[in-house]
Formats: sequence, structure tokens, C-alpha cells
Amino acid sequence: MSKLIMRGVSKAYGATLALRRGDLTVEGGEVHVLIGSNGSGKSTLCKVLAGSVRPDSGEILIDGKAVTITGPHAARTSGIGIFYQELSLAGHRTVAENICLPDMPGGIFVDRAALESRAQRYIALFDTVSGEGFSAEAVVENLRADQRQLVEIMKALATEAPITIFDEPTSALDRAQVDRFFEILRDLKVEGRSIIFISHRMDEIFAIGDRVTVIRDGETVGTEKIADTNPGAVIRLMVGGQDELAPGASAPPATAAARNGAVLTIANFSGKGFANVGFEVAKGEILGFGGLHGQGQSAVLRAIFGANPSSGGTLALSGSAFAPSDPRAAIRRGLAYVSGDRSRDGVISGRPILENVTPIHYLRQKLFLARPSALAERVKPALEALHTKFAGLSHPINSLSGGNQQKIVIARWLIDRPDVLLLDDPTKGIDLSAKADLFSLIRKLAAEGMGIVLYSSEDAELLNNADRILVFNGGKVRRELTGADRTRYNLYQAAYEAA
Amino acid sequence: MSATTQTQAATPSPVLTFLKQPLVVALILIAALLLLGEALSPGFASGQQILRLLIVAALLGIVAAGQNLVILGGREGIDLSVGGVVSLSAIIGGNLMNGTDAGILPAILGCIAAGAVIGLFNGLGVTLLRIPPLVMTLGMLGVLQGLLVVIRNGIPSGRAAPGLSQFVTQPFLLGLPGIIWLWVAIGLLLAFMLGRTVFGHRIYAIGSNEQAAFMAGVPVKRTRIALFMLSGAFAAVAGMCLIGYSGSSFANVGEQYMLPSIIAVVFGGTPLSGGKGGYTGTMAGAVLLVVLQSILTTVHIDESGRQMVFGATLLILMLFYGRGRAMRA
Repeated sequence: MSKLIMRGVSKAYGATLALRRGDLTVEGGEVHVLIGSNGSGKSTLCKVLAGSVRPDSGEILIDGKAVTITGPHAARTSGIGIFYQELSLAGHRTVAENICLPDMPGGIFVDRAALESRAQRYIALFDTVSGEGFSAEAVVENLRADQRQLVEIMKALATEAPITIFDEPTSALDRAQVDRFFEILRDLKVEGRSIIFISHRMDEIFAIGDRVTVIRDGETVGTEKIADTNPGAVIRLMVGGQDELAPGASAPPATAAARNGAVLTIANFSGKGFANVGFEVAKGEILGFGGLHGQGQSAVLRAIFGANPSSGGTLALSGSAFAPSDPRAAIRRGLAYVSGDRSRDGVISGRPILENVTPIHYLRQKLFLARPSALAERVKPALEALHTKFAGLSHPINSLSGGNQQKIVIARWLIDRPDVLLLDDPTKGIDLSAKADLFSLIRKLAAEGMGIVLYSSEDAELLNNADRILVFNGGKVRRELTGADRTRYNLYQAAYEAA
Repeated sequence: MSATTQTQAATPSPVLTFLKQPLVVALILIAALLLLGEALSPGFASGQQILRLLIVAALLGIVAAGQNLVILGGREGIDLSVGGVVSLSAIIGGNLMNGTDAGILPAILGCIAAGAVIGLFNGLGVTLLRIPPLVMTLGMLGVLQGLLVVIRNGIPSGRAAPGLSQFVTQPFLLGLPGIIWLWVAIGLLLAFMLGRTVFGHRIYAIGSNEQAAFMAGVPVKRTRIALFMLSGAFAAVAGMCLIGYSGSSFANVGEQYMLPSIIAVVFGGTPLSGGKGGYTGTMAGAVLLVVLQSILTTVHIDESGRQMVFGATLLILMLFYGRGRAMRA
């Protein structure tokens, strides 16, 4: 009898179907790899199991018995433990307290002796690789990133759950730490425990996995024995029969850089979350950033714009050197940045549409007065270029739909045109017609000579719109895809390459 | 989801919308309080008396102008040091004038400069050192109170110039004293600044979403420092006018302005979270508070009782706005 069976699990967020039909069967004593591209639904499937998302339909059986997972606590009592990303640690508390946090020994008062001895069991597992300064009493926020990740792993192990989910548990670990972690996982297998393992490193998947389940477009498309398959076959399963390039996608101007000259040149660029990134963007070119979520694409774009600090590298705009300091300086030099997180970085909430479109114009033109009639004449064409629907410029931006709000935010860059437009997952959470409007505008801007960098977490958007794609993995550019190489297969292969 | 859409779709009657505007609410309350005052003590709402109330309201309103700007700028913006600045300005102004009209200009310049410098320190502390405005300006208030004791050594000093006293208390134009006209001018200036200048739009932008404003090239820190400087300068102007009103300065004359300046702003429709509202409502709020204070005096409620009423008023207003926010979310 299988340890865990998930059958036909579905989940929709509003009109977006995140998971159409998720199936997963995990045996006792196996490491089961879950794999899928961005937005495929694998995280949703995990969240359903961890109790943080309630599914719309489907059934879950543990040891053959149907269970309903109503919340994180119910997941724990059903025997499911989960490794969370770093965020779940209590920074001011000690390693021991964090490890035992999910279930503290003692009643009202914490039994410190029991806590220490229990934590010590898991700390000892990593004794040889945990590094200097790592102890039960160490305060978590004083630890290095890899050590904090070890605490997360120990915390997950301490739940002693029959089924444990590890979602990218090795991203900060070094080779020796990963090897030790894998030894421990193999010991758990021998004990008959089930491990669900998510990773974006193909070498790790093949080193530790017993079976792999592939999810594509919200649907489980297959489960294979690792021993019977190979990385290429797994990627082909992820790609499926999807079009490599949508019909009508423009032929890449392969010689654009040579013909037009670079508007943005970057070399050896490093900062938090990325290292040694280098590329050129030609006038009129759309350069795509691809790969899995959070591999440094967004960090690079924000650092170029001066919104996040960078630690080194050289940048030049149309040949003249540029040192990112803050967005204000970047805007003056002709850079533009559109964030996918519009409620945080874009929308000036509660204010009229007019005031949401004009800030860049004020800065570029060094204006002092804001005359509504004069501004309206400037603003209207920018809004019309995106087919923005709005009742009046004095209406608050919050009265618009998400897609129209994002159009307003983009329109602010269209009055005084920048030389380089940085798009950081700009279509997140907006409707299809807004997306279509946006991409036709981007094409037009490129044709008029703007250099565009497009990061999108939707692979189809990248493949359809970018002339060239840089695939990021672990904060570095792993591969450049040009011309006929711009295929989903190549994109996934580079994204899952060993970091 | 659908329930909220429905309540939004059901538009309230235009009359109700009109009546719910903070400015309209304040004006109606002012009229009601004047009627009540007249009933309690005939002569309360006489022309002469209303003029006196307006002068006192102008003093409060000028302090509240700066308070209003700081609050609009968001990120928990508040200036608790205004009372200290008013007191300090009254002393500096009184000593620079020392009863002569020739001293008026140096006094005005000196006071505004002192107020702006204090505001600069507040602004630098809030932006560069990231000290919460509440703590920063409360600390500044403490420093100023200490400074006042040191400067005066406990002895009142300085006298208003006759010209200044005349400006504040005697009819200047159309039977109204100069200070009323000054207040009206400040009101027009701020309405223009907030609505029609880039600086004004930047204030709203940082008050509504500081991160988005930063990403759109708004000089967030510089703007916020300017707001604290303006607050200091307005409080200093009020301090000058105050000594013109009372003739000479006495101990901690400005203390009474801290709480009312905040209440006037909130009453006028600018939430303490910032990003929306304006000065017109605050002006009405200032008049309302002064009328309320006057009524309390008429019915023989002493200073401590008035403070309690003001404190309670602010808390009630917070309750009101807090509920409004929750319902909007």
C-alpha cells in the first residue's frame, strides 16, 4: 500500500486555475522528486499537502485512509512535515529553540533540558559540516545563510513526520553539506520514511531521487523511475508537446547588436543574489531573462536601476559609464523599471490616475508647477498607447482593475521615453488582454529603438517575445539562447543545470 | 468579494456624500457650537466675539499647517515639537523686537530660521537615523523645554513691537485683523502647493506609498526633511503672532498647541496615516476646536478639564477613522 496518494487535486485562485489535476503517489522509504516549470502547479500541490491551501477538489489518502487537511496543524497530525524557506525561523532565538519550535517540550513552561537534548540529536547529524559557531545555543540571526538553512533542515527532520516535504532545501548549502544531507535522507529511507523532494538542480535530483513526478500546466503528466530515465527525458516531459515558438513570433535580429550598438553594457556585475553577470542590450532589442523564479533575474534588474545595492561590476549606458546609486539617478540617465509587484513598487495608492502617471515627467523635465490641463495633454496619449480604460484622470487609481493599474504604472514611462526599459515580471497577475496590449507596446517601443530587458516567470512570454534569452540559475547566467535555440527544452535544460 | 462589490455599487445619495465630507461636518459643528454658546451665554456669538475666536483660531491654524504637512507625508509622520517651537519663537521674537517696530523684520527672520533649523534636525533624525517621528519630535520637545528654562532663567523677557500687536489684534482690511488675512493667504498658498505643484504631488506620493514614490524618482528623504522644516517654520510664525497677541511671552506659552494642532488636522480629514486630505479641512478643524474651547471656558471648565476633552476628542476621532479604514479594506 502506498504511503501517500493524491488524486485529482485541483485549486483555482479566482479565475486562474493553478492546479488542474494533480496526482502524486509516494511510497514508504522513497525519495520522490517533484518537478515542473514556473507556474506549473507543483508549489500549489505542496501547499495543499502542507495544509496552507485548501483544494477545490480531489482526494488525499495516507496509508490508504482518506484524510482532509484543513490547516498546517492538521497536516502535522496527519504525519506531514515540511521544510520551509528561511523565512520561518525566529531570528532572535537559539538554534535549539528553533529546531523544537513546532512542538516544544514541557507544558506551560519550557523544559530547557529536554529541549537541548532533543535539538542536540539533530545538530549532531550535521556535526562534521555545520561549520564554526554552530551550536545549540547560537542565536539564529548570527548564523551564515548556509547554517540557517541547516537549521531549517533540522527543524523539518525534528518533526519526525512519516512524510516530509523538502522544497529547495539545498540552495544555500555547500557540496559537503549537501552530501551529508543526502546521507541522512538515505538513512531515513531505510527507516521507511517518505521524502518529497523539490530541487532545481538536475544533478541533485538524479543523485538522491528514486522516482520523479512531472507536473506541467497544472497537471501531472507522468511519474518515472529515476534509474530508468535521464535528464533529457525529464525535461522533454516538462516541455511536452507545447509549441517551441508561437507562430508569428518575429525572427530574431541576430545582428542587432552589431548594427545598432549597445544601449546598455554590463560586465562582472555582482550583488546580493547574483554574481558576475554580464550582457549587452542593443538598441531595438528585447533581451529576455529566463529560468526558475528567484535565480537572480529580478535582483539584477533592481540593482541596475539602483533600487537594490550592488557590490561590483561595470555598467555603461550608450557607451558612457554609469554607477547605479538610486532610482532617481537611473531615471535621469534614461533607465526605466517596471516591477511585477505593482502594489509595492508601482501604484501610488489612493491618489488620482494623473498623479500616478506624472512623476517621471516631473523629474525628467525638472518641473515645478503641475498644471492639470497641460499634464493631461501629455498623459492621455501615453494611456491611449496601452488602450487603458479609465473614467477620468482625477479618479483614484484604486478604482481600476489590476491590469489597468499596471498600464497606468507603465504609462508613466511613456511621456519622456527612456533609452532602456527594464521589465521585472511585468505581467504578474494581470489579465490576458492587458498582457497582449503590453507586449504589442513593447514590440513597438523596441522597433522605435528602445533597448528592452524582459524578465518573465511565464516561459511562453519569454519565448514569444524575447530576441535573445539569458537563462539564470543560482544568480548566474548559465546559458544564452539565440535564434532557433530559443526553445522550451533548452530553457528548461539550462534552468535545471547543475549550479 | 461579491458582497463588497455590491455595497460599492450601491451609491449613497449625493446629499449624504456631501454631508459626510470632513469640511462640511466641521462647518456644521461650528455653527451648532456657536448656537449652543449663544444659548448658554448671550453675546457668545457676537461679531466682536467671533472675530476674537478667529484670531485665536488663526494662531492654532498656522501651527496646524505645519503639522498637517508632516502628517500628509506619511510613515507615522507627526511633529510633537511644535509647542516647543512656538514658545522658543515667542521668546526669540520678543527679545529681538523688544518693543520696537524696527525689530520686527529681524525677529520674523530670526524666528523662522530657528524654527526651520529645529525642523531640519527633526527631519534628519527621521530620515537619516530612521528614528520614528513620534520619538524624534518628542525628544526635540524635551530639548526645547530645557532650552527655554536655560534662556529665560525663569524670568519672562521680551516685548512685542506695537506694529506687530496691531497686525494681530486691530482691523487691517475689511475690518479683519492682519493675522486673519495672513491665515487666509497661508490657506491659499498651501492649497496651491498641494494641488498644483510638483512638490505637493510628491508629498502625497510619499505619504501614500513611499516605496513606489522612491521607484518613481521622488526624492523621498529630501521631501520629508522639507516637511519637518516647514512645520518648524510655521510654528515659529505662530509663535511670533502669539507674542503680538499677548504682548509678552510667558512660560511654555506654546505647550497648549501640540494636541490641538493634531486634532485640527484629523478633524479636517487628513488621517494620521497620511497620503490624503489637505489644509482646507484643517482650517475648519482649527476654528471648531477654538469654539469648543471657548464654550468649555464659558461653562467654567478649567484648563485640565479642557485638556481631557481634547484628548477624548482625538481618541473618538481615531475610533471613527479606524473604523472607516477597516470598512474600506
